[in-house]
Amino acid sequence: MITKIDVDHVARIEGHGDIHLAVEDGVVTRCEMEVVESARLFESMVVGRPFDEVPYIASRVCGICSASHVVTDILAIERIFDVAVTDRTRALRELLLYGSYLQNHATHLFVFATPDFLGHKSVFPLASENRALYDGALALKALGNELCTKVGGRSVHPICAVVGGFTHEIAPDGYLELADKMEASMDFVEEAVDLIASFEVMDLETEGDFLAMVAPEGYPVCTSDTARFVRAGYDFSAQDMEEEIEEYAIGHSAAFLARAARTGKPYMTASLARINASWDQLGKRARYASARAGLRPPCLNPFMNNVAQAVELLDALDRCSRICRRLAADEFEGTSEPVAFEVKAGTGVGFTEAPRGALFHRLTLDGKGRVKSANILTPTSQNIANMEADMAEVAQRFADAGRSAEAIKLEVEKLVRAYDPCLSCSVH
Amino acid sequence: MSAQNTLHGKRPCVVIIGLASCFGCQLQITNMEPYLLDVLDQIELVHWQLASSDPLPDDFDIAVVEGAVTTKEAAETLRRVRRRASVVMAIGACATTAGIPGIVAPEFQDHVSAVYGDAVPDAAGSLVSPVPVSAVVPVDWEVRCCPIEGADFVAALQRFIGGSNRLSPTSTLCGECKRNERGCFYGRGVLCMGLVTRSGCGARCPSLGRACNGCAGVSPDANVAAARRMAQEAGIDGARFDSALQLFNSVGECCA
Repeated sequence: MITKIDVDHVARIEGHGDIHLAVEDGVVTRCEMEVVESARLFESMVVGRPFDEVPYIASRVCGICSASHVVTDILAIERIFDVAVTDRTRALRELLLYGSYLQNHATHLFVFATPDFLGHKSVFPLASENRALYDGALALKALGNELCTKVGGRSVHPICAVVGGFTHEIAPDGYLELADKMEASMDFVEEAVDLIASFEVMDLETEGDFLAMVAPEGYPVCTSDTARFVRAGYDFSAQDMEEEIEEYAIGHSAAFLARAARTGKPYMTASLARINASWDQLGKRARYASARAGLRPPCLNPFMNNVAQAVELLDALDRCSRICRRLAADEFEGTSEPVAFEVKAGTGVGFTEAPRGALFHRLTLDGKGRVKSANILTPTSQNIANMEADMAEVAQRFADAGRSAEAIKLEVEKLVRAYDPCLSCSVH
Repeated sequence: MSAQNTLHGKRPCVVIIGLASCFGCQLQITNMEPYLLDVLDQIELVHWQLASSDPLPDDFDIAVVEGAVTTKEAAETLRRVRRRASVVMAIGACATTAGIPGIVAPEFQDHVSAVYGDAVPDAAGSLVSPVPVSAVVPVDWEVRCCPIEGADFVAALQRFIGGSNRLSPTSTLCGECKRNERGCFYGRGVLCMGLVTRSGCGARCPSLGRACNGCAGVSPDANVAAARRMAQEAGIDGARFDSALQLFNSVGECCA
């Protein structure tokens, strides 16, 4: 007997994707995440355009990850032009990226993922059922928007971040106000870690690897060039990303898929990968909350990415409030005013940790600073192959336990949402 | 707003649909956090795929569409939606001008081959050269910019609910910017598209030290030829002006 399970347009994820499963006599014979997102052809679109337009265009790959795309492109360009920015600019970029972590993780955890565990179809029933949680969640997302708006000029598609620095900065009081709000919301987030850890999830171990940015010190999001495959146990320079990560096409996905070139293994890049790679570098409060939630490295269960995001929220607030206080006190060297640079030809890779994982942009510019070619590798396109393997495992375990098609469908959807895919990013 | 105050004596049923886009405009709607429930209280939000697993219903009043049309399938969805909706509202640059996805419209097939070679995955759909929503179905209201401002979306919604006949601004951004008294980019020899771009955003980018990129699209009042000459007088190459104009206006008359 063949049971077919199809989900047309998975809801509460960013972008368009369908799931197709087939169970034949108790064996999962088909398991596909069909990414039906329409291609916008960004890599070809930017060819011939001047370098300063490129971060602005790439931002439009994805609304939620817009800050990450902007900063990643800027880093690629600065590598080509040999631009050394000030510590203050670096701190502001970190804030901007963390602002998008607050936006993304709060949206994903409360609007997209939590309804699964509370038996709702959307976040809105929460407004009457648990108003404190609803208000707290939205306030956190609002704080992320405020942070992005104050640093980048807008909550989606930042304006002020450019090659060499920032075109605008708020007054010091604005940073102090942000720091106060961040510190005030930490108690809520600590409780949210406990809440999300209390949701029962399947005990799953992914076969794949984990990829994350690492640095000798700190929990890096945009300040290191080193990437690590955590399980295989080796590091590589982001500049070699096209040799280290193999992209390949399959018919059922408009996105390219990826695997580690050295091991041939699929992998996950996400909050969970970062925590596996840099758990020691989390702030004390986040590390305690993580340990209490049962999240300690190595954690191989992709469902725990939800908890990992909650832990990162706590850590982001802690880290950002300290950065804000230092910015207000003018403790970073230099100003954020864009530094002068000379346009030249070359190739560079920008590398950041976007909210959903490692993001690479490779740019090749001509002597006039015009794009000759570009390659964008997003977290979700890297994750799809691993996610499909995990989906098959989940479906098989449920089939073995004699669970209904409806139960399989729901659990597979839960897994997909735990990966927090951004399909609009994956097909760019 | 109480039910009897609305145009049809009941809360209008609204669907929100995303085509080829970054989802940023839909996010901007959710980004109105403190007011989100107030906004939603005025309408019956019957379908919002981004936030809920409910399917597209048969009956609704307003269809809010984000994104450009880049596949035959999307055009078909749009026509189906248009047949059911009394009002179609296009939000954001992708939906109103084809926006950033529209950059690939000239020599579209070459761009497709550059990314996918000869093997376009089936899942990408039947790709067509990007066009705005209005090129496929009649559009009743537009909310411009990349991304939209939440407040502009609410204002457009209120026009339906309250029955206002107020029109969107058509003048150019330059005038709006002058009132901010922040100086002019051309004085520094920097290209700014405010000369020809539709007003309405309050000249947000120029106020933050960044020249206008033209995300609201070309104003119907714009004198593009004069603006181009002015840019050249400020030392900016004509080709540079044309390419900047193309950023959000590749599809449409001004760059054809």
